[in-house]
Amino acid sequence: MTPSLWRSSLRYLWRHPWLFGLSIVGVAMGVAMVVSIDLSNVSAQEAFELSAETVTGRATHQVRGAGEGLDEDVYRQLRVEHGIRPAAPVVEGHATVPDAGRTFQVLGIDPIAEGPFRSYASQDAGIALDVFMARGQTALIAEPVAQTLGRAPGDTLQVRIGGRDYALIIAGLLATDDERSRQALESVMVVDISTAQELFEMPGRLSRIDLIMDTDAERNRIEGLLPESARLDRSEARTETVEQMTRAFELNLQALSLLALVVGMFLIYNTMTFSVIQRRPLIGRLRALGVTRREIWRLILGEALLIGTLGTVVGLALGLVLAQGLVVLVTQTINDLYYVLTVRELTIDAWTLTKGALLGLGATLLATVWPAREATNAPASTVLQRSSAEASTRKAAPRLALGGLLLGLVGGGLLLIPGDSIALSYAALLLLIIGFSLLIPLVITRMAAGLRPVMDRLFGLIGRMAARGVVTTLSRTAVAIAALVVAVAATVGVGIMIDSFRSTVQVWLEGQLQADVYVQPPSLVFRQADATLDAGVVATFRAAEGVRDAHTVRSVHVETTHGRSELVAIEFGPATREAYRIKAGDPSVWDRLDSEPVVIVSEPYAYRHDVSVGDTIDIQTDEGTAPFEVGAVYFDYASDLGVITIGRPVYNQYFEDDAVSGLALYATEAQPVEGLVARLRTQVPEGQEVIVRSNQGLREASLEVFDRTFTVTVVLRLLAVLVAFVGVLSALMALQLERSRELAVLRANGMTPRQLWQYVTSQTGVMGLMAGLLAVPLGLILATVLVYVINRRSFGWTLQFNITPEILLQAVALALVAALLAGLYPSYKMAQANPADALREE
Amino acid sequence: MAADATAPPQVQLRGLTKGYQEGEQFRTVLDDLNLTIAKGEMVVLLGRSGAGKSTLLNLISGIDRADSGEVILGDTNLTTQSEHARTLFRRKHVGFVFQSFNLIPTLTVEENILLPLELNQRSSSEDRERALHFLEEVGLRDRRSTFPDRLSGGEQQRVAIARALAHDPLLILADEPTGNLDYETGQQVLDVLDRLVRQAGRTMLVATHDHDLRAVADRVLFLQGGTLDVFDPSSVPASR
Repeated sequence: MTPSLWRSSLRYLWRHPWLFGLSIVGVAMGVAMVVSIDLSNVSAQEAFELSAETVTGRATHQVRGAGEGLDEDVYRQLRVEHGIRPAAPVVEGHATVPDAGRTFQVLGIDPIAEGPFRSYASQDAGIALDVFMARGQTALIAEPVAQTLGRAPGDTLQVRIGGRDYALIIAGLLATDDERSRQALESVMVVDISTAQELFEMPGRLSRIDLIMDTDAERNRIEGLLPESARLDRSEARTETVEQMTRAFELNLQALSLLALVVGMFLIYNTMTFSVIQRRPLIGRLRALGVTRREIWRLILGEALLIGTLGTVVGLALGLVLAQGLVVLVTQTINDLYYVLTVRELTIDAWTLTKGALLGLGATLLATVWPAREATNAPASTVLQRSSAEASTRKAAPRLALGGLLLGLVGGGLLLIPGDSIALSYAALLLLIIGFSLLIPLVITRMAAGLRPVMDRLFGLIGRMAARGVVTTLSRTAVAIAALVVAVAATVGVGIMIDSFRSTVQVWLEGQLQADVYVQPPSLVFRQADATLDAGVVATFRAAEGVRDAHTVRSVHVETTHGRSELVAIEFGPATREAYRIKAGDPSVWDRLDSEPVVIVSEPYAYRHDVSVGDTIDIQTDEGTAPFEVGAVYFDYASDLGVITIGRPVYNQYFEDDAVSGLALYATEAQPVEGLVARLRTQVPEGQEVIVRSNQGLREASLEVFDRTFTVTVVLRLLAVLVAFVGVLSALMALQLERSRELAVLRANGMTPRQLWQYVTSQTGVMGLMAGLLAVPLGLILATVLVYVINRRSFGWTLQFNITPEILLQAVALALVAALLAGLYPSYKMAQANPADALREE
Repeated sequence: MAADATAPPQVQLRGLTKGYQEGEQFRTVLDDLNLTIAKGEMVVLLGRSGAGKSTLLNLISGIDRADSGEVILGDTNLTTQSEHARTLFRRKHVGFVFQSFNLIPTLTVEENILLPLELNQRSSSEDRERALHFLEEVGLRDRRSTFPDRLSGGEQQRVAIARALAHDPLLILADEPTGNLDYETGQQVLDVLDRLVRQAGRTMLVATHDHDLRAVADRVLFLQGGTLDVFDPSSVPASR
């Protein structure tokens, strides 16, 4: 490659700043979305791992109980009777500090046994045992946290746990030399084990026992010493299980961001194709002068590399900024749906940035391969003539359409392959998108023919010219319109998916919430009832005036054949039965639920663990591991992790647990619900916060959380809309700017600036309209795949497809408005310019 | 410098045939053409629009490929060469002058002229000076830093002539070199072309429908119906 060729190439880009700039924006936005989502996910993951690492310490194994706890006698037996050491008891949970508006992980420990496990919480760390253990309810917090809160040892710290307020005395400050632990400690509060048992209402019980062991022999020995209700696990196993909870959620966010990159790729493809087509005569001249195909190829790829590099650099910077906001949304969603997580800072992961850079450059080069091939493969003699390009595009349209149909069929076929591969689903989605794009040249030729009489009636000759112009320059317009269709369709697909999800949840909530009033303690994770109601409150409310009937709900986590699962115990009455919509199973299951070892499982649970009616799930209970038959599968949208539901009487047979996580009350006919809610609220005892909500209140709160968990998806959709908008603008503006000579001819022939404006905007308008209209079917295809395949494979939910007309109208309007705006600058420029300049030969 | 009759021929066309599919019909543009052009000879190819003049030039330069027959330039049989080899041959041994000038708009006048040298990786100061000498010869040395869109049509064509000669090619092909110029400018361009090509002792084939070009030709060819008639410049019938 000669310096002159590079210079020529750079000057071309420099002389087309709009095209150059907007293509950089296209790459940058794609990269920014991928990088920001990835950074948010990595930061959340890193924060979780850091915290898990800090609270696990050097423990290699853990002993856990069947349900929410383990009898502390097990610890005594292991340590005292059998001399198992090192061993340390742990009670853990979460507490909020209302003053700071922050949540802390509370770690209840025995400082004497802690030494080998967590040095920062042991005697060796200089904790004053006399203060820590002897002065009632005390806590240790990290030094920076104490500074932020303006507290010192000896001061009191107000904390709230399960709706109850407690005052803890700061007995000392946690410190460590290790930088990773120091960060994690900022979210940890250490208390004495007995204090933790009081705070979390776990008298005589532990969350787990930490152990350090090296050999299988030791492991076997300890397993032999444990009672039926306890089990021994590797410490990492628990962390891995929790991490797996969010995997599908993170994967979907990544896929959505990749969809934005695909849209970005189409824009780059459009830009590069446009720049190649525009330079066909120039390429012809160079070929005539003896520039080889390989040199032209390198020239085009070199330009793409420049655009890709600049776009990637801007994209990485933009991604870092965007990630600061997205990490808050991602953390919020994880907190709403999965577990308590505090992300103190963004983790700048080198691999994420490298991946973003590779994706940006790779996508740009990939999108350039086809235009570069076209530029180099055409014989020099035809490259010298523009008319041949248009003629060959028109001739190729039916063949392209056939190819598109075939690709679409292959994509559809891939979707029919059974299995749960999400990657395969996205590959199929990509094939459908490309297949549809290949139909576009043929379709717009037909659409233009149909639009001509309409445009003629509306705008006369100018309208006719505008419609016809789309076909006469098909090689450029088809690519631009295809890029716009893909960009706009992506926003339609994601929009419909969110709407379908929301409307399904709304309908489900209406059926699910049969009671009039719901009572529950505040929970840190919205979709998990991790706190319990005071027994007195339950009794008072059940007996309250105006209450006809009541049933309780108890939610715990248990070990099962399929790992740790949520088990919900319900008092099934006639009304509660109505709340469940059975997907598979015998209706007689209700009669068996209260007396037999039978459970029903939610749809996502059945999907995730491949469980069906008649199967057996082994559940570890306080009575040992017991088999439970799956009596039915029911629709449920509360948790994508899945839930096992059991009758309360059966639960009580297997678990030593009287606690209640929530209470549903049915009002008498004469009792207005709002009045009952108000009265119950006044009966809540001092010191406990209880949430009493009407049916409607809970429904609204649930939808509010739903909307909040989808905020990140909505933000991504808006960003995709923005990319689409930039795409429409750049593609059409470039197209019009490139026609300045043709427009100058029209001006020279007497077209007024006003008529010119009309001509340009009606042509961009026609193209925008075509893109908007074509985006609707492709958007519906994308939505169908997202709703019925990808969502199902990710979470196992059956969603009702819900098409909102606003989303479709928004798509057409988006394309049309952007298209009309795109026409403004070129028509203004041409109206201002002297036609003589544009008519000059280059 | 006149044609060297003793030297081996510079261009040999043997049984050259080329046609195009036009809808249902196949149209033969060049039909079994045979031609020899001697070194240093200036040949003018006359013919109406669509007669196949540009097609013939494209075949001789190796841009396009014949359906049958041979194109031999110097010692090289282009017909047997790959597209890549033909391109490399063209960049080294052929200079082009087009009707619409075809300068590279993103390169300055000087860069346009030096481009063939760069493509041939000839960057000695001697080569560059020689190329710039042609720019001086066409009277545009003072416009060396100007971009083509700031030049008049005649000036652009003079730059194109300098570019065609810059790398000392075996053969110069000119396709309607005066077609886009007014009569007077056309005459000036023709004078420059004739003077420089003959001074440099180059072989040239000019395709045109401008009969005035007969004046500078050693030989005149007339292309019609796919075949060539050869005339002495002074004896071309006015009807042609």
